[in-house]
This record gives sequence, C-alpha cells and structure tokens, in this order.
Amino acid sequence: MRVTDQMIFERAATSAGSARARAQKASQEVSSGMRVQHPWDAPAAAGQLVRSQLNQARMTTIASTASQAMDELDAADTALDGVQNAVIRARELAMQLASGTYNAQDRANAAQEVDGLFKQSVALLNSDVGGRFIFGGRADGAPPFDPVGAYSGDSGIRQVETAPGVTTQASVQADVAVKGVGGGVDVLQTLASLRTALQVNDVPGIQASLTGLSTGVTQLSTARTQAGNGSSLLQLASNVARIAVLQEQTQASHLGDADILDATSRLAMAQRVLEATLTASATTFKGTLLDHLR
Amino acid sequence: MASLFNILSIGASSAAAQRSASSTASHNLGNANTPGYARQRTSLEAALPALSAGRMLLGQGARAANTTQVRNRFLEAQSAATLSAQARSGAQADALESLSALDPSAPGSPGTALGAFFSSLRGLAQRASDPGYRQSAVASAQDLAASFNRTAASIESARGGLDANLAGRALEANDLSANVARLNMEIRTARANGSEPNDLMDARTVARDALAALTGAQPVPDGAGNISMVLPGGAALVTGDRSARLDTLPDPLNRGHTIVRLDGTAGSPPVALAAAQLGGSMRGDLDARDGALKTALDQVDQLAFDLGNALNAVHRSGVGADGSTGSDLFTIAATAAGAASTIQVSAAVAANPQSLAASTVAAGLPGGGDNAQRLIDVESASLSNGRNASATLGALVSGYGSETRSARATSDADTLLAQNVQSLREAASGVSIDDELIDLTRSQRAYEAALKVITTADEMMDSLLRLRG
Repeated sequence: MRVTDQMIFERAATSAGSARARAQKASQEVSSGMRVQHPWDAPAAAGQLVRSQLNQARMTTIASTASQAMDELDAADTALDGVQNAVIRARELAMQLASGTYNAQDRANAAQEVDGLFKQSVALLNSDVGGRFIFGGRADGAPPFDPVGAYSGDSGIRQVETAPGVTTQASVQADVAVKGVGGGVDVLQTLASLRTALQVNDVPGIQASLTGLSTGVTQLSTARTQAGNGSSLLQLASNVARIAVLQEQTQASHLGDADILDATSRLAMAQRVLEATLTASATTFKGTLLDHLR
Repeated sequence: MASLFNILSIGASSAAAQRSASSTASHNLGNANTPGYARQRTSLEAALPALSAGRMLLGQGARAANTTQVRNRFLEAQSAATLSAQARSGAQADALESLSALDPSAPGSPGTALGAFFSSLRGLAQRASDPGYRQSAVASAQDLAASFNRTAASIESARGGLDANLAGRALEANDLSANVARLNMEIRTARANGSEPNDLMDARTVARDALAALTGAQPVPDGAGNISMVLPGGAALVTGDRSARLDTLPDPLNRGHTIVRLDGTAGSPPVALAAAQLGGSMRGDLDARDGALKTALDQVDQLAFDLGNALNAVHRSGVGADGSTGSDLFTIAATAAGAASTIQVSAAVAANPQSLAASTVAAGLPGGGDNAQRLIDVESASLSNGRNASATLGALVSGYGSETRSARATSDADTLLAQNVQSLREAASGVSIDDELIDLTRSQRAYEAALKVITTADEMMDSLLRLRG
C-alpha cells in the first residue's frame, strides 16, 4: 500500500488521540472511584443504581423511623412500669389500711402517699419524647392528662412502616390501658377513689377499690406486654432495614464503583501505549527522503 | 537530414517538458497538506510527427502531453456516503452525551429528590404534629418539583442547542451548495476551453464532501461534468449551476423546535423536510433531538404527571393540620406534555405547611399521620406504565444510556469505516513527499540533460562556423 505523509501524520494523531482517550477514561475512574458516571457507561447498571439509591433512602428512613418508634415504645413501657408500680403500691396500702387496726390518721397519711402516687402517675402518663406526648394518641401535641386525671387524647393508633408497604402498631392506647375503654378500669380514677376513701376514712370504699386496683395492674401489665412486643418487632424491623441498606450499598458499590486495581492497571497500560505511540510516530516522521537529500 | 537547429529545438522542447513535470511535482509538494487535494501527474510523450530524413524517421524529442489527477473513482464515490454516515452518528452521539441531568449520581437528580421526598413523608407520618417535620416535608416536595423542572429544562436546553446547531449547519450547507454549483459552472467552462480543471475539481470535491457530511446529500454526476447533490429523500440541493437553500423555522407542533425547510431550485415554494429526508450531521442532530432526548423528556413528563396526580388524589382525601381538605399537593399541567417543567407545590401548601394533609380525618388532628402513610404508599404504587416510580426512573436512565451507548458504538464503527475509506483514498490520491522528491529529481536530471543537448548542439554549430570562417 502506498503511504503518504498525510497518512503518517493522520495515523499518529488518531493513535495518540485514542491512547489519550483510554488513559483519560482510566484516570477518571481512578480519581473519582466511580465506574458508572453517566448512563451510557453501563446502561443496565445505571438504571439499577438509581433504583438502588432510592431503595437505600427508603430503607434508611424505615430503619430510622422504626428506631424512633421503638424508643417511644420503650419510653411508654418505662412510664407504664412506673404507673404499674404506683398502682401496686396503692393496692398494698389499700389492703393494709382496709384492716381495722388502722385509725383515721393512719389513713389520712396513706391518702397523702396515694395522692403522691396519683400525681406521679399523671406525670408519667404525660411523658413526651422529643416533644411528642406518647400517650396522647393522635392528639400528641399537648399533655393528654390533666391534673385530675381527665384524658384529652384520642384512640388513634400510631402505625409505623416496618418494611415497604407493611405497617405495624407502634403506640400504647392510653384510653384502653389507663382509662379502661372497652371493659377495663380507669386506673387514675381508681387511684383517685382510693385517695378519697382514705381521706374520709371510708373503709368499705377502700375495700371496694382493691378489685379495681388489681384489674388496673393487670391492665397495665397487658399494655406493657404489648409495648414490649411492639418494641421487639420494631427493633427487628430496624435491624432488617439496616441490613437491607448495607446490601443496597454493597450492590450499588458493585454496580457503580470502580475496581481501582483494574482501573490503575488500565491507566498504566494506556500510558505505556501512549508513550509507545508517540515514540513510534516520532521515529516514522524522521524516515523521509527529505532528510537524506539535504 | 536533421539540422543542428533541429537538435537545438529538440533540446528546447524536451527541457520545457521536463520543466512541466518539475512544475507538477512542485505543485504536488506545495499541496501536500491541502485537504481534498489529489496528486497530479504530467504525462510526457515523444513529440510527433517524427522528422523524415531520407528513409529514416528521426524523433523530435519529448513534450508534455497533459496533467491529470490520480483518483480512484470507486473510493471517491464511497467517500461522500461514509462521511455522511460518520457525521450523522457522531453528531447524534455527541448530542446525547452532552446531557448530564440523568447521571445516576448527579446532585439534585429526580432520583435523589424522590428518595428525599418520601423519606421526609415517613418522618411526617410519625410526627405529623411537629411543625418542623411538616415544613421539611413541604421543602422536600418543593425540591422534588424543582428537580423535575431542572431535569426537563436540561433536556429542553440540549434540544434547544441542537436547534441552534441546525440553523448554523443550514447556513453552512447553503454556502457549500452555492460553492458546488459555482464550481460546476467553472469546471464546465474550463473544459469547454480545452483544459483539465484539476484544482477546481479538488475544490468541488472538498465542498461536496463537506456538504455530504452536513446534509447527507450524495453526488450524482451527469454527462456534462456537473455533479448534482441529492438529499436522502430525493430532493436536490444542487442541480448543475443552481443551488437550493435550507432554512429553519420554529415548529409549533414540536414545542417550537426548528423544522428544516428546502427552498428548491425549481422556484417551487419551500417544503418542510422530515428527518428521514436528511442525512449527515443535520440528521444526527434531529435524531438526537427528536429521538432519545425527546423520549427521555416525555418519560420525565409522564413520571411527573403520574406521580403528581397520584399524590394529589391521596392528598385531596386527607386533612391538613389547619383543617383544610380537598386540596392538591402539586400544581400539575392538564396533560403529561410539559408536566415536568411546570410541576410545582401548590401555592396553598407552599404558603402554609399546616395545610399539608397528613391525616385522613379531622378527628385525627394534629398528630394523625395515616394520610402521610398513604402518600408514602404511592412510592410503591404502579403508575400508568405499570411500573412504580423507582422502576420508571431506573428504566428511563437505562433506556437513555442504551440509546447513547448504541449511538456512540455506531459512531465509532462509522468513524472507522470513514477513516478506512479516507485512508485508501489518501493512499491513491494523496501526496507522498518521497515520491514527489524523486519525480522532481528525475525531472531535474532530464532537464539538465536537455540543456546539455542544447549546449552540445551549440558547440557543434560553433565548430561548423569556425570551419567556414
């Protein structure tokens, strides 16, 4: 084949350009650490990367909200534990002071203790986590119990997403657990009745409160069990979501991250090819008749 | 019998012939780097008629017969077609690769904004009574709308850039068409005067190839020495010494993007050219603008439209913390066309985040987040294409990537083919400095020999004159 000078220069420019492009691509991969920067670098992987990023965001938030809900359920459990202990103590006092061996002064002193237990229970039931009153149902912006134990919350049940499209109950229904809606007893009202009976030295009244207090203890225990179960479930959901995030991150890394070893090796190879191309071109440029005719 | 004067004449004519050959070699060397130049060769031949000397015929030396170009007609015919294909696929791939809005890791991309929006809704579902979470959800909804706006604007900007390309290329094509037509006429005139207009033909080849690369017009030679330039759709850009003009004007049926028109050579009214009636880089621009870029824009529009409407439907059925109900979350166009570029958070929600309907019932206020949970469910719901938002976005990115990758692969193949043809053409017609130096030296030696003939004849004549004297 006849080779002209323009062909030699064209070939040199094309070969050097192509070697430079390969070196640039490998260099970009090494410096950015990313194999897929544009959709056309790997179309299928780019689409999967987008889905994976969305899944990561979704599972990260699910893990985070489940964890927050778990914290609130744990706080509710702690509060209910305190209320339950208060009711147990009140029941002990009721059993003790229902006996005829105690006088009115003893009962008045006990009434003061029960009053303290009542106030302590109200305070516990007005617990908030990050400003959210956990026993208010959906009316969670203000303390749900007033000083006399009246409830201003509602029966709303908080649902938390534990997996995409799957929700679970993540709140204690104070109207059921404390106020006895649905067949239970009003725990605070029972405490208040005991307090009144003690204050007025009403022994039959004290005796009558015992059943309610026992039912209240059971009622609170049931609520705590539900809270504990919910907390465990949310803990599990949070862990599963975190694992899913890690899996998504791993997948995204496989899809989009550069294999640094491979990219570095390709960079070295491309640089070597570029040097060889430039050397070969420079040598070819010299071999003309013009040099010999001078 | 040959006279001494005849020998002098032979020397003179041979020297002139060698000078012509030297001149051609010099011309070739001078044009060694001229694009489109085809090397020329001066043919020498024995001067006729031979001189009769008795029964002998004595030669009359040499003369330059003609100067012709060295061209391979097959490769010349291939050149325009391969340059057109290379320009088309190259323009398309370059245009598609100029868009970065769909990069998987681009900051502020719809994917990132979509993930952040649903994350903020998840937070709101748990803390609907917290104004901070409500404000955050509205802000992320605004980010999502802005992300759709930006993506649509980026794609439209890329399409608009191609409109500007087309207008510029049309002007360039008009100059080239006029050039080819003028050169057709000059070549005809030169030939009518009996000369071979090699350099004019080179200039026409350059203009022809450039026109083919721009418009895809292919050369069709006629018997008179003209070449017509015919577009892929059959319309003529150049016929003899007449050239048509291309122009561009906005097409209201295609969002105001330009349409290419041909103002024909026969005085007929301008006609709109479909993409298939063009080739070269103009076709590449149109393929990119109305192909993958438009598809991507339509898909982004459809996603914004479907997602916005699905979220609105849920939002309308909920109740805001301020008790408002029946309001939209997003303001969306009536149809999918243009939805991504115009979608916004509704003015009411933007002005008052309390109107974000996180609860399904008024009784659930202020902490009810069940409607926010229903809004979250839209993330997994099937849209009009049967896929959810995440899969739709993934398919959009993959589809655009595949189109671009395919265009680049075609461009690489077309470039290789064009380079191969250009290389073969250069091998046949290009100037080799070595060859020309050899020719120049050969002509120089022959020229020196011819001068020696003249010197010898002169000495012979001098000797003869001295005998007489």
